[in-house]
Amino acid sequence: MRRLALLAGAALLITSCGSGGGGDAGGAPAAGVLKDKVTIEFWHSMKGANAEAINQLVADFHAKFGSKVQIKPVFQGNYDETVAKYKAAVQQENTPALIQIYDIGTRFMIDSKQVVPMYKFFDVDKYSTADIEPNIASYYSVDGKMWSMPFNSSTPLLYINKEAFEKAGMDPNKPPKTLDEITKYAEKLTVKDASGTVKQYGFGSATYGWLLEQLLATDGQEYCDKGNGRQGLATKVQFDSASGAKVADWWHNLVSKGWAVNVGRKTDDGQAIFKSGTVAMHLESTSALRGYVDAAKQNGFTVVTAPYPKLSDGSKGGPIIGGASLWINGVGHSDEEKRAAWEFAKFSATPEEQAKWHVGTGYVAVNPKAYDQEVARTWAAQFPQFATAVDQLHSLPPSTASAGCILGVMPQARQASEEGLEQSILGSKPGAQAMKDAAASLSRAIEQYNQSVK
Amino acid sequence: MAGYGLSWAYLLPSLAVFALFVFWPLGRSIYLSLHGSDIFGGAGRFVGLDNYAELFTEPRFLKVLGTTALFTLFSVVPAILGALALVLLLEAQIRGAKVFRTIFAMPFAFSVATASVVFSIIYNPAIGIANGLLGQLGVDRVHWLTSPDLALLSVSATTVWMNLGYNVLVLSAGVGAIPQEVTEAARLDGASGLRLAGRITVPLLSPQLFFLVVVSTIHALQSFGQIHILTKGGPDEATTTLVYSIYENAFAYGSADFGLASAQAIVLMVVVLAMTAIQFGVLERKVHYR
Repeated sequence: MRRLALLAGAALLITSCGSGGGGDAGGAPAAGVLKDKVTIEFWHSMKGANAEAINQLVADFHAKFGSKVQIKPVFQGNYDETVAKYKAAVQQENTPALIQIYDIGTRFMIDSKQVVPMYKFFDVDKYSTADIEPNIASYYSVDGKMWSMPFNSSTPLLYINKEAFEKAGMDPNKPPKTLDEITKYAEKLTVKDASGTVKQYGFGSATYGWLLEQLLATDGQEYCDKGNGRQGLATKVQFDSASGAKVADWWHNLVSKGWAVNVGRKTDDGQAIFKSGTVAMHLESTSALRGYVDAAKQNGFTVVTAPYPKLSDGSKGGPIIGGASLWINGVGHSDEEKRAAWEFAKFSATPEEQAKWHVGTGYVAVNPKAYDQEVARTWAAQFPQFATAVDQLHSLPPSTASAGCILGVMPQARQASEEGLEQSILGSKPGAQAMKDAAASLSRAIEQYNQSVK
Repeated sequence: MAGYGLSWAYLLPSLAVFALFVFWPLGRSIYLSLHGSDIFGGAGRFVGLDNYAELFTEPRFLKVLGTTALFTLFSVVPAILGALALVLLLEAQIRGAKVFRTIFAMPFAFSVATASVVFSIIYNPAIGIANGLLGQLGVDRVHWLTSPDLALLSVSATTVWMNLGYNVLVLSAGVGAIPQEVTEAARLDGASGLRLAGRITVPLLSPQLFFLVVVSTIHALQSFGQIHILTKGGPDEATTTLVYSIYENAFAYGSADFGLASAQAIVLMVVVLAMTAIQFGVLERKVHYR
C-alpha cells in the first residue's frame, strides 16, 4: 500500500499539475487491465429512497459486469461527514476506489492530489461527453476538463401551495419572478386569525446558504474571485456584494413584517413547514419535490413549481447545478481498481440507469437522453411539476457565475454566509454589515488552505 | 521486590487501556495543538502557541466560553433540584409512588439523539406541539430554537429533561439507603415535612448530590448531541459551546483545522479539571458520609 502510494507520488511529480492548479494521481488504465475479479468500495451519502436507488444501480451493474467487478457501496453519513471521513482515510492511506463528493468539495478533491481525473478515462476510452448535460458538466470542469463524473444533480425551485394562492384570490400559475415580487405576494398570502396569531406565512425556507449562492448566480454574480475559482485558487468570497446584502435585507424584512417564518438553518425544518401547508411560498431543491407531492396529498393541498426567482428585475443569470459527483482515487489503488471504478462511473451515466435514478430519487438526469426512456416518461406524466426543473436547466445561459464557485473551503464559506444571513434576519446587524463580517471571517481559512496546497 | 513486580503486573491491563485511549490521544492532541493543519487535518508546520494565541485574542472564543458556562449552569442546577423535589415528593407516602418513580426515571431510557429529535419536532415554530398548545391559550408563536435569546434555554431544558431520569434514579437509591431508624427517630421527635427533608433526608443524601453535581457538570461541559441536532450551534452562535466549537473546527463544513480544535480540546480539559478540583475542594467538605 505504502509503496504504491510512493509510486503514485513519483508519478505525480512527473505528470504534475494541470493549469488549474491542484494535481492528479497518475494515468487512467485501459480496459485490458481487468482480468481477475476485483472488488472495490464505493463511499456515498445517500439514505432512504436514494440509498435504495444506489443499491438498484449496483445490482444492475453486477448483472452486467459482476464477473469482473464487484462494487461494495458504503454509506458514510451526510456529505460533510463523508468528506471528514475521507480526510481521515487519506491520512491512513485507506481511501475507497470510488467516492461520491458534493459539488462544493470539488476544489478540495482536486487539491487533494489523490484522484485520477475523469477526463483521462474519457481520453483512453474515446468516451464522448456529448451526452452529459453541459450545464452540469461545467460545474465539475476546470479549464474545460472534467475532473469527476456528475452523479446526482438538482436545481433550485420556487414551490407554491396552490390552494393558498387561490384562497388569496391569486393565480398560482403567475408566480413571483423576483425577490421584491415575493415580498409583495408574501404580504397578501399571510393569514392571521382574530387574535393576530399567524395561521399561514407568505414565505418560509431554511436559512440555507445554497439558496443565497443560487440567487447570486441568477444575478450573474461570481461568488468568489478568480473567475469563481476557475482561473486559479480563489482568494476571497464575494457574497458581501450589494446583491448579497440585498438578499439579507430582503429576508430580514419578510421576517420582521411577519410575512415569513424563521425556521433556522436546518433544511429538514424548512421542508417540514412547507409540507405541513403552513407557508405559501418556499425555496428548495428539486430533490425535495417527490416528498412534497406525497405530503401535500396527505395535508390536502397541491404543489405547484415555478422557476427559481431572480434577484431583481435586471438579473440575467440562472441558478447553479447543485448535487454531487463521483471521484476515482488513484493513490494507493491498483490499475484494476481504478479501472473498475471508472466502469461503474461510466455505467451510472447511461440513459437507462439515469432514467431509473431520476425516477427513484427526484434528481435531474445527468444524461438528458434518460428523459426518452419509458420509465422517465411515465414519471413525467405522473409528476408534471418536475418539468419546471428540466426546462429551467435547459434554458440556463451558461456562464462563469452559473458554473458555481470552486473554493477549497467552500463548505465553510456556505456556513459563514448562513451566519451572516441569520444575523441579518434576526436583526442583530444590518444586512450589508452582517454579510461583510461573514465574508471577512473566512480570510484565515482561505489563506491557510491556499498556503497548504501551494 | 517481587511484590512490586506483581502489583505492576496487575496494573498492566488497565495501564495499557489508559495508555491507548487516554494518554496517547492526549499527547497527540497537545502535539496537534502546536501545529498548523494541512488540508486533510494532518499536522502541518510547527506554530508554537499560535493556535492558543488565536483562541484567546478572538472575541468569539470568549463568547463560546460564556455560552458553555451558562449551558452548564442552566442544565445542571435545575436537573438536580428538580430530581430532588420529585424524590422528596415520592417519599411522602403517596399512592402509586412506584409508578411515578418509574415514569420520572423514564427519560434515562432515551438516547440523546432520540430525545433531541423528538424535542426538535416539539419546538418547530410553525408546526410544533409547544406552539400548538400555546396557540390554544392565545399565546403568539414562540421561537424556541430560532431566537438567540431563547435557544440556549430551550436546549438546556431538553438537557434537563434528559438528565432528570438518571438523577431521580440515583437519588431514589440514596433515599432507599437511609436507615429507617434515623427517619423514624426524627418523626418520633416531631419532625415532618420540610423540616424532616431539610434536616435529615437532604444531608443524608449529600454524597449522592455531590456525585450528581460532579458528574453532571462534566457531562454538561461535554454535551454535543442535543446541540448538534437541535440548533447546530445557532442561531447566531447562541448555542455554540466549547465542545461544539471543537467539532466545527475539526470536522464540520469540510473544515479540518485540527490544530485549532486540539488547542480548544486542551482548554476544555483544563476547564473540566479545574471545575472538578473546585467542587472537590469546596463542596465535598459539606458532604456527610455515613
